[in-house]
Amino acid sequence: MSMRARSAKPFLLIAPAVLLLGLFLVLPYINIGIMSFRNPGNGSPYAPGFTTGNYLRLFSDSFYLEQIANTLMIGAITTFACLILGFPVAWQLARTQMRFRGLAYGLVLSPLLVGIVIRSYGWTILLGNNGMINRTLINMGLIDHPLGLMYNSLGIVIALVHVFLPFMILPLMSALQGIDPSIEAAARSLGAGRITAFRRIVLPLSMPGIQAGCILVFVLSLSAYVTPSLIGGLRVKTMAVSVVDALIDTFQWPFGSAMALMLSLTGALVVLIFARLTRMKWKAN
Amino acid sequence: MSKPLLTGYCLVIYAFLLMPILVVVGASFNAGAFLTFPPQGLSFRWYVVFFNNDVFMRAIRTSLWVAAVSTVISGIIGTMAAMFYIQHSGRWKESVRLAMLLPLLLPEVLTAISLLFFVYSIGIGTKTIAAMIIGHVLITLPFVFINVSAAMESYDPAWSLAARSLGAGPITRFRRIMLPLIKPGVIGGCLFAFIISFDIFTISFMLKNIGTATLPIQLYDYLRTNFTPEAAAVSTVSIVLTLAVVIISEKVLGLRIHRF
Amino acid sequence: MTEVSIEGLTKDYGSSLAVNGISVKIADGEFISLLGPSGCGKTTTLKMIAGFEDATAGAIRFDGQDVVNVPAEKRDIGMVFQNYALFPHMTVAQNLAFGLEMRRVSRSDIATRTARVLDMVQLSGYADRYPRQLSGGQQQRVALARALVIEPRILLLDEPLANLDAKLREEMRVFIRDLQKRVGITTVYVTHDQAEAMTMSDRVVVMFGGRIAQHGSPSDIYERPASLEVAQFVGQVNILEGKVVSPAAGDLTPVDTVLGQFLVRGVAPDANGTVTLTLRPEAVELASADTGGAQATVSASYYSGSLVDYRLTLDNGQTINVQTFPRNRWAAGDRVTIKVDGERFWPLGAPS
Repeated sequence: MSMRARSAKPFLLIAPAVLLLGLFLVLPYINIGIMSFRNPGNGSPYAPGFTTGNYLRLFSDSFYLEQIANTLMIGAITTFACLILGFPVAWQLARTQMRFRGLAYGLVLSPLLVGIVIRSYGWTILLGNNGMINRTLINMGLIDHPLGLMYNSLGIVIALVHVFLPFMILPLMSALQGIDPSIEAAARSLGAGRITAFRRIVLPLSMPGIQAGCILVFVLSLSAYVTPSLIGGLRVKTMAVSVVDALIDTFQWPFGSAMALMLSLTGALVVLIFARLTRMKWKAN
Repeated sequence: MSKPLLTGYCLVIYAFLLMPILVVVGASFNAGAFLTFPPQGLSFRWYVVFFNNDVFMRAIRTSLWVAAVSTVISGIIGTMAAMFYIQHSGRWKESVRLAMLLPLLLPEVLTAISLLFFVYSIGIGTKTIAAMIIGHVLITLPFVFINVSAAMESYDPAWSLAARSLGAGPITRFRRIMLPLIKPGVIGGCLFAFIISFDIFTISFMLKNIGTATLPIQLYDYLRTNFTPEAAAVSTVSIVLTLAVVIISEKVLGLRIHRF
Repeated sequence: MTEVSIEGLTKDYGSSLAVNGISVKIADGEFISLLGPSGCGKTTTLKMIAGFEDATAGAIRFDGQDVVNVPAEKRDIGMVFQNYALFPHMTVAQNLAFGLEMRRVSRSDIATRTARVLDMVQLSGYADRYPRQLSGGQQQRVALARALVIEPRILLLDEPLANLDAKLREEMRVFIRDLQKRVGITTVYVTHDQAEAMTMSDRVVVMFGGRIAQHGSPSDIYERPASLEVAQFVGQVNILEGKVVSPAAGDLTPVDTVLGQFLVRGVAPDANGTVTLTLRPEAVELASADTGGAQATVSASYYSGSLVDYRLTLDNGQTINVQTFPRNRWAAGDRVTIKVDGERFWPLGAPS
């Protein structure tokens, strides 16, 4: 066996993955970047020539700007809610030796095993004007008219929190598991109260998990399509829904590309700022 | 937080996580023609309707088929990549990892749209199911990679060297030593990939070809215009199918794990 | 059986020369140790002999046949790894059978050979256990058995005792050495533990920085080290400056030191007539009464059961270390007289 043959072999292991990702991920992304600068077509997806018009149209139209802002807002609220709701659960999973820990872990994971269409569908059953929640409240005589839980941002946030909560809990849990309980005990022995020990020791040490969870949930919320589409209906549209509709219904490829990239880049910017801020803040502490 | 308070809080969250799923399952047994609450009696009528509905039955078959093909492809590619990542990537390790996780880090909507334009511009289009399968392989690849590389982390390269010193060539080494030892990771990764693929929506939605919708797409289309509990019956069957796959594999996996 | 000859063996990793042109001949049935600190190239050398690493230059010959281009799986070597590398999904018997299956040995022969070797390593009742059900020492012996059952041309051991506790390690030294003698197999043993290398080997090869610093019998290495580095690596050593008093008479040269004047063997003084001498701590004897030797004050003593180590301060302020049996005990502050036999000094070749 020659030396050359021996050293070439390992590369063959990664070659199929490189080929797949290069051909069907990297190239398409380059392609969509170019597409966003193409002239809109008339009767065809796009016309020859290039323009910055698609982006100018996005920036000059307050409708789209508001939609981007609204989408970012929904993403931010969803992320924050997931963090607040998920932290105690992650804490309990990471720290307590419960008898039913396996079951609890399974419960956290279980929504991931159920398709997103089905989960969103479940929320339409719960949140609709004639849905379970409103019906129950009316039957109990607590309200006269159904609460507006669906076809608005509130409904979208509730459903998105449900859909993405596991993605917050899992990284939080692994970060909290990595913190030696004796470190916290040491802080307590040095005179720190429960709250101080949590704020000065546990929180900073779980920061990587908080960061990872927040970024994951935020990015996933921005690009969520099914949930906003089913819960928001025609009345409230997030950017992702608008983009897909623009492409499927109206075949505006260049403009749709610009919208999709705009949304992704704004999202990436928010993530970067968030990562920078949290890192500085916790280093300063 | 005190202990009972924390436990109570967590129970509320678990209920929140399970609620929409339980509601769907419950609704599927509703005897009424609409999703009324409280339900108008218990009945299996919507299951009968569903099993006689060709469109949904075909969608289930399509979904299973697409998931199976995608899982096999990403299982092979992902396992190879994980082997490279753990044993040969050297100073490129972080880059390889990042590249392999890329499909997870990028927004699925953007990936779906990019892929749609791309398959049209290179002439594949969406006339065949190939484009959809490519999309599914992209999305499921990271799950195989993560699981197999986790299993590979605890694979001692000295085992391969020992087998070599005893006279085993590369194929024997893979078949008799490495594969049996990383099998839990491979099976786990493929299981994950299969379930993810079975549930993928956005990619399938953008890359579907006329006439072969997967189950999530068919369900979504149906939900936009219909409100009968048939959708709940379809969903429940889908949930049960996924659970069955998990439980069966767990059993198989469990047996394997207990062997060493 | 096999004679191994290594000539100008080199491994260049591009950024560093791990092994720099080493040559050594290993006789048929000989037990040789590669001894050195981590990063000295001993493990790389072993891997090149095994075939796990390609040699950049040089030759490895088994009975005169160059094996550099023979892949590891065809070299017919038996190897024992530091962490044993037993296949965790196979029983002890299956682990042992693996190499024989690769050689297409018949099923019945596999059974008899496996049983025989298991008996040899005193693990007859353990054939159906899995590795995780065995203790560290038992796993070690399975690893040995797995390497020996294929009846390889040479046996390679890569720090096989590093993961065992101290007591077991000493038992295994004797066990491996006896087994090797019984089988009569040519053996290369890699270790950073000088005591291990000394007690087990016919010959020790000391390596530093990819080169052979010295090779010879254990007593050669210990008593006649070729350099200060070697002297320090294989044990504690005192360094004394000496001045040649008059030309050598025969091979004995009178040398003046802080401990007095001695007749030293093998002195090659530099132009100034100075020479650097090594003196092992246990070569020094102490006495309370002033018997005419050099005087020193005990500054510290360390008792370890069978031996006592003293740190002494000579009257000129120099420190020397001494190791004695605890027959007489001195405490810090005691005055002692130092007695040394001139034969126990060993001069370093060229001062570095």
